[in-house]
Amino acid sequence: MSKKRVTRIDELAQSLPPPRDLWPAISAAIEADKAAGTAVSAPRRWLPAVGMAAAVALVSLGVFIGRNITPPQIIAAIPATGGSADLIPASTTRDANYRKEREVLLAEVDKRLAAMPEDERAKVAASLLTLRRAISEIEAQLGHDPANALLQELLVSSCQEEMRALTAVRDSGRQEI
Amino acid sequence: MTVVDKGKADTVVSFDDALIERARKGDSRAFERLYRDHVGRVHGLCLRMTRNPDLAADCAQDAFIKAWKALPRFEARSSFSTWLHRIAVNTVLEKRRGPSNAEIAVEDPTEYEEPVLSFDTPVEEEELEAAVESLPQGARDVLVLCGVYGYEHSEAASMLGIAVGTCKAQLHRARGLLRERLERGVR
Repeated sequence: MSKKRVTRIDELAQSLPPPRDLWPAISAAIEADKAAGTAVSAPRRWLPAVGMAAAVALVSLGVFIGRNITPPQIIAAIPATGGSADLIPASTTRDANYRKEREVLLAEVDKRLAAMPEDERAKVAASLLTLRRAISEIEAQLGHDPANALLQELLVSSCQEEMRALTAVRDSGRQEI
Repeated sequence: MTVVDKGKADTVVSFDDALIERARKGDSRAFERLYRDHVGRVHGLCLRMTRNPDLAADCAQDAFIKAWKALPRFEARSSFSTWLHRIAVNTVLEKRRGPSNAEIAVEDPTEYEEPVLSFDTPVEEEELEAAVESLPQGARDVLVLCGVYGYEHSEAASMLGIAVGTCKAQLHRARGLLRERLERGVR
């Protein structure tokens, strides 16, 4: 407080900093709260991060794809087998047909990436890599908890998203031709 | 960083919003930034309500800890600053011992609609703070929230858990006492 003179009560300073930094004690309480939360929900704490990474990757791909092909063509480009969760089992990444189809698609996508301008190629490749990492992380978690229905569902949907993304990238090249 | 004006809240995406979102996801560094930006006002409010520096610091600290825990329930459409102040006021009220905010009978609350308290002769900040500090608890709480921090009667009444009419009556009382004490020279 000062010798400053005021004519209205709302001219008084609203902010009066505390005499000591309160953050260390607050931070300690927060860490304790986090630790307590972790003990309860540790097995699923990574899920939002994986979901977010996958979502970011899809948005990035969407921006790219949106510039190259129109939405109806994207939908048409999705293989019939990629549209229903029932058709992709939880063991999808170990399924021979799925792997074969994906390898073919990856080869075509590689060609398409090679033909892209460097900056676009980097963006699309990074997005696809993010999706792949998300799938790998889910697979790793499933290794620890094979019966987890949520993880199985997440894996199926992530694989579907990857197939859709790969197909859309491949077909964006066909559209330009 | 500034506190976002309520009227602009729909159109202005504040840095606070981004920090709040990050803090809600468990980012304590984002919450620390929110703490640094808001602690002065929260502590000022607690200090004026408690008149006790140690208790005020404790209340401000507890308010931020409660805010961290309650962040998932914070609705982004409301003002973070107001939300934080509400928590701080609750914390002060919880820590107070004995009766508080005694109800004052009001026949017609509208008779207490008054403009911001102003003085014909400039008053030293220190003198004014001392006069505010000398007010009875209920009157002081309302004067601090409405007069110093600019809350509407409805907001202040809700924070303090009193009726709007009581809030208006307490402010009227506070103004009268404040003028009287400033004229007398509170010390």
